[in-house]
Amino acid sequence: MTTALEIYRDNAAAWLQTQIAEFGREARRGLSHEEDLALGRRWQAAKFGAGYSAITWKPEHCGQGLTALEKLAFEQEEIKHGFPNDYFGVSLGMPVPIMLRYLPDGWKQERATAALRGEEIWCQLFSEPAGGSDLAGLRTRAEQDPATGDWIINGQKLWTTWAQHSDYGVIVARTDPSVPKHKGLTYYWVDMKAPGVTVRPVRLAEGTSEVNEVFFDDVRIPDSQRLGPVGGGFGVAMETLTIERYQATDPAGFGPPLQLFIDEAKAIKIKGRPAIEDGRIRERIARTYAMQSAMGAIYERTLLSLAAGLQPGPEGAVHKLVSVRARQKLSEFAVDLKGVEGMRYDDDLTRKESWSKSWMTAPTGRIAGGADEMLLNTIAERILGLPQDHRPDKGVPFNQIPR
Amino acid sequence: MSILYDEQQQAIADEAGRILTARTSSARLKELLEVTGQYDDVFWETCREQGWTGIGIPEDNGGIGLGLIELGLVAEACGALACGAPFLNTGFGVAQAILRYGDAATRAEWLPKLASGEAIGAIGFAEGADMVPGGPALRCTNGRLTGAKRSVAGGSAADVAVVLASGEHGPVLALVKLGQSGVTATAFETFDNSRCTADIAFDNAEAVVLDTPDALAAAQEVLSLQAVIAAHEQVGGANKMMTAARDYSLTRHAFGQPIGGFQSVKHRIAEDYVLVELARANAVQAAASFGTDTFAVNAAAARLSATEAYDTVSRDSVQVHGGIGVTWDADLHLHQRRARSLAIEQGPMVFWEDTLVDLLAGDVA
Ligand SMILES: Cc1cc2nc3c(=O)[nH]c(=O)nc-3n(C[C@H](O)[C@H](O)[C@H](O)COP(=O)(O)OP(=O)(O)OC[C@H]3O[C@@H](n4cnc5c(N)ncnc54)[C@H](O)[C@@H]3O)c2cc1C
Repeated sequence: MTTALEIYRDNAAAWLQTQIAEFGREARRGLSHEEDLALGRRWQAAKFGAGYSAITWKPEHCGQGLTALEKLAFEQEEIKHGFPNDYFGVSLGMPVPIMLRYLPDGWKQERATAALRGEEIWCQLFSEPAGGSDLAGLRTRAEQDPATGDWIINGQKLWTTWAQHSDYGVIVARTDPSVPKHKGLTYYWVDMKAPGVTVRPVRLAEGTSEVNEVFFDDVRIPDSQRLGPVGGGFGVAMETLTIERYQATDPAGFGPPLQLFIDEAKAIKIKGRPAIEDGRIRERIARTYAMQSAMGAIYERTLLSLAAGLQPGPEGAVHKLVSVRARQKLSEFAVDLKGVEGMRYDDDLTRKESWSKSWMTAPTGRIAGGADEMLLNTIAERILGLPQDHRPDKGVPFNQIPR
Repeated sequence: MSILYDEQQQAIADEAGRILTARTSSARLKELLEVTGQYDDVFWETCREQGWTGIGIPEDNGGIGLGLIELGLVAEACGALACGAPFLNTGFGVAQAILRYGDAATRAEWLPKLASGEAIGAIGFAEGADMVPGGPALRCTNGRLTGAKRSVAGGSAADVAVVLASGEHGPVLALVKLGQSGVTATAFETFDNSRCTADIAFDNAEAVVLDTPDALAAAQEVLSLQAVIAAHEQVGGANKMMTAARDYSLTRHAFGQPIGGFQSVKHRIAEDYVLVELARANAVQAAASFGTDTFAVNAAAARLSATEAYDTVSRDSVQVHGGIGVTWDADLHLHQRRARSLAIEQGPMVFWEDTLVDLLAGDVA
């Protein structure tokens, strides 16, 4: 299509080639978690140096000021080599961009640069034991000290990705329990090393612990750490969640590529015949391919409409819903197809390389960032105009909602 | 070609929808269901008048030289009203076969007539469940066809057909005029009668053998082209059924609320929306890749997604409508029928799954 874009992609691919030996899949094998994180930080710095760290961000925020098409092109090339970029997805995806929108100049630029270079990491402290899908149901409190204007935070967050490595976080807390739940929330940034903040990793079913519970015990922050108006926190939270709606989405739902399944189905034999000849397996391949190709086309169309100045549709919800569900099913099927061999669980392989690992980690994908049911509600209510669910807590002051 | 429609393309789609809504009716479609072997002549007249029959045929050959994207948009509009006739697909397939493999005389004789819609084309490749039989029972010797093709879509209305037959040195594609003595087309009753499905018997009928390097590959190629048009019709129908379910679920109340407020209903419609969007994306992508290396793969993917979408959504839509949905008066059965006829005519799911996997696994002969 556009030659400029193709040139961009080729240049990016050529540069990425030169980085594989130091940062690629093979270089990461056998590293401890700390070593891998350190490598990841160096990878961020390398991208920053080469001008690939914040492709769509404005130049005044150290970005490259390009469009989503360039970003997609770069990420499609980057994704091929297994670089260690997981640690920075949340940080650069939402907390840092929202901080850039709300805070005054100066300090924020320093933070953004440090985050882009992988020196600092930000986390997002929204969900709680009592409020996940129902974000506005959160109970962590922030009370203002009338003497100083400082806020004192008490409560518990849950599911905070990479909080154990984070320097800063964005947090939503309840500042007024006497009004309906959406209205009594306020948004802040917090220093994760401040006194009173305790981070405890939560071990997930798959065995690793990228998520944490975070406790706030009388954590004192100045009013200058507030983002948006008092009582306006829900709006800022929604804005945060929509910022990176169009970030590159992988049609494989962040699991192994279909080609791996095809290659294995050629090698595996069922009753002496190559599995690829079996109709059940062919059906699975064909249907999965059709779904992934549609997803790719939908995503491309979104970017084309963005580039043409049109409002993109709600493709993000469709993408996440369909791709992760499909990944879960295909992984389950692949593990099954391999027979007892499918039992192998190699910690050195990523969830994009190993079916068993993909299968073990897929459930988190169907919950994190909006459970399937919430995505279906989004499609039904926002796109199709169907009625909202019955919400008995609607309009009721938070402190009068029965628990 | 871009997968984002431009203004001109959007205008073609809107105009097609507007004209078809004005001229076709579900009452007429229901009349057609009660007789065998009749198609909607008002619909076909509209196609001719609007030049839709000439889309995709070059101007030199009497067409208007637009692409598969434009034809797809028209097909989508037809699908929304379930008013299509099979000739939209098969006429295009026949024209493309002639365009690629016909000699100058054949092209001159047929392409302008197909482009103007004066002649109707049909495709007879399948024998039984085999869409592209490697050794067809229909024989072609010295330019004469003997044998039969069963269940040819549009067969009783067509003037000309491209058939797959066994020649002296293997399979051939042959062009045969259906009006001649020696050809008998017999329409039979189907669950979607307006498709004019017929058994065609050939008794020493005169035919022209098309000059294909590989007749089986050429047949598959024609099917792929038709499949993309069908996929757009399927998307149109599926989208219509999804919207019908949405609209109905907002007005019908039960237990004190619109039924669209029940999550079991609401999520079902949201899932249907997803199927429609996936099918639409693949259909447009396939049309946009017409003439490129990825066309065959994209066509197969479009075929699979569209068939799944139309079948599932029409089924679900009936369910959401409750009792009223299964009546003759509610038009849902028109789509229920059309979903299935479109699913079958261009080859069943297993056939397309196989085609796609062969392409993906790199095992194509
Ligand atoms: C790996 C991982 C990383 C995460 N990272 C972060 C992070 O960095 N920061 C952060 O703030 N949060 C994070 N989360 C939290 C995540 O956003 C929540 O887990 C998610 O929103 C679901 O909330 P919940 O777990 O409380 O489930 P619940 O909300 O309790 O849902 C339980 C079940 O009820 C269903 N349900 C709920 N409401 C409805 C409804 N209205 N209609 C139909 N069904 C409904 C859900 O679909 C689900 O099936 C992370 C989660 C995971 C698993």
